[in-house]
Amino acid sequence: MNELISTPRGWLDSFGEMTKFGGRMIADIVTLRVFKFFGEALRQAGILIVSSTLVIFGLVFIIGSECGIEGGYFTYGEGAPAYSGVFAAWCDLRELVPLVFGYMMAAKVGTGIVAELGSMRISDEIDALEVMGISGMRFLCATRLLAAMMVLPFIYLASIGAGFFASYLAVVQELGYVSSGGFLLIFWQFQNPTDVLFSLIKAMAMAFVIVIVGCYYGYNASGGPVGVGTATAKSMVVNLVSVHLIGMLGTQLFWGANPRAPIGG
Amino acid sequence: MIILTGRTLVSAIRPPYPYGPEFVGQFLFAMRLCWFPLLISTIAFGYEAPGLQGANFLVLFGAIDRLGGFFVLSSVREFAPFVDAIVLAGVAGTAITADLGARKVREELEALEVLGVDPVKNLVVPRFLALMLLTGLFDVYALIFGVIGGIAATLVNHAPLGPFFATFFNNAETTDLWGSIVKTTLFGAIIAIVCCYKGMTASGGAEGVGRAVNQAVVIAFLGVFAFNYAFTQTLLATHPEITTIVK
Repeated sequence: MNELISTPRGWLDSFGEMTKFGGRMIADIVTLRVFKFFGEALRQAGILIVSSTLVIFGLVFIIGSECGIEGGYFTYGEGAPAYSGVFAAWCDLRELVPLVFGYMMAAKVGTGIVAELGSMRISDEIDALEVMGISGMRFLCATRLLAAMMVLPFIYLASIGAGFFASYLAVVQELGYVSSGGFLLIFWQFQNPTDVLFSLIKAMAMAFVIVIVGCYYGYNASGGPVGVGTATAKSMVVNLVSVHLIGMLGTQLFWGANPRAPIGG
Repeated sequence: MIILTGRTLVSAIRPPYPYGPEFVGQFLFAMRLCWFPLLISTIAFGYEAPGLQGANFLVLFGAIDRLGGFFVLSSVREFAPFVDAIVLAGVAGTAITADLGARKVREELEALEVLGVDPVKNLVVPRFLALMLLTGLFDVYALIFGVIGGIAATLVNHAPLGPFFATFFNNAETTDLWGSIVKTTLFGAIIAIVCCYKGMTASGGAEGVGRAVNQAVVIAFLGVFAFNYAFTQTLLATHPEITTIVK
């Protein structure tokens, strides 16, 4: 019985710890103290762009073409292949591109941060920073969060483009159920800039949580090389669950009450 | 990695079979790790993507009863396998890489070889088989909870459940189910090979293990997605009857 209670209590404990940790990171940014290390933030932003952009584009491209073929076959089965653009627009923009972006952020950026900060912690580099009078929290974690917030919106918007392009290729060039003009007409009718904004908010919420979780697990890693590996694996679990939950809440909030489609009155 | 796949397959088939207990241990270990994240993820995903958005679209046409048919297409064929693979790779795969990587940097794998124990046969094969079997089985689990997400979406729209199940079972084909399970079993194989390979080639102390986990999960995701694309494409193109929508 005791064991049964202790597991959920452990989750609640670490959730509280993470929130506190994230709060301190955000406080560092909001009070502009992090700008003392703006150069480091820029360097992290550069690393993000160089190392993660292509992988994110690749995954979004694959999922975009998958949306395209599934949507193509589905609308063909319904006898309305001209409308495969609806499926592509909704599937890409509203659901799968944010989710896939979240997965890849968790896999590439989240675990990368844990591995990096974790090994710094294990080799006592973070303690060395503190001794030199530099807040490790601010220098390592807050700069990473700032960097993510600076570049990720742009990476995300570009990756939506990759997804759209892949859907277009799959539906128009590969399946050939609908002409290019017919596809694009429906495709653009079923989305508008507000949808893009909602989708961006969803993806940025995921990225925000992923960076905080990554920093938390890396900063608090312990127990040698094994500890770093375990912390990396653990952060992945938390990230996956929170990506799905944020996706669900976002959809419910933004599109649950109002489908925002140009149909009916 | 291909060499490792070949060696794993050969040593899985060739006797003796010393990996029984390790197989059971790994199977239970991965199951214990994965069941809860998978449960939350599939319900959330089923409710969110096919459920709410599908229902949004169908409600406009007054055809919410078709949501069941839509779920066969989306959940059975795509999302259940895909969420299943993502969770298994992210949770069990990373744990395997962390475990093997730690053994590698502590030189335990070399010690095993010195003792005359083949690490591929005794460590990789049981993980490979366990992950294949588990991903296949968890596909059914993911399917069930994905459909629960769909039921929740139907109820949120104040629609009766009878039509949901009627269209669901009218559209569900055996081909869909076996396609889904074969696909996830192969996903499991990809994840296991990538994660074991990255774990066994980890080097460079603490940072090395962390970096191995990072690379393993990225490669596993990309591999799974690329394979999924090819598989879905082939299945849909070679079995045109499953794309017909039954009323």
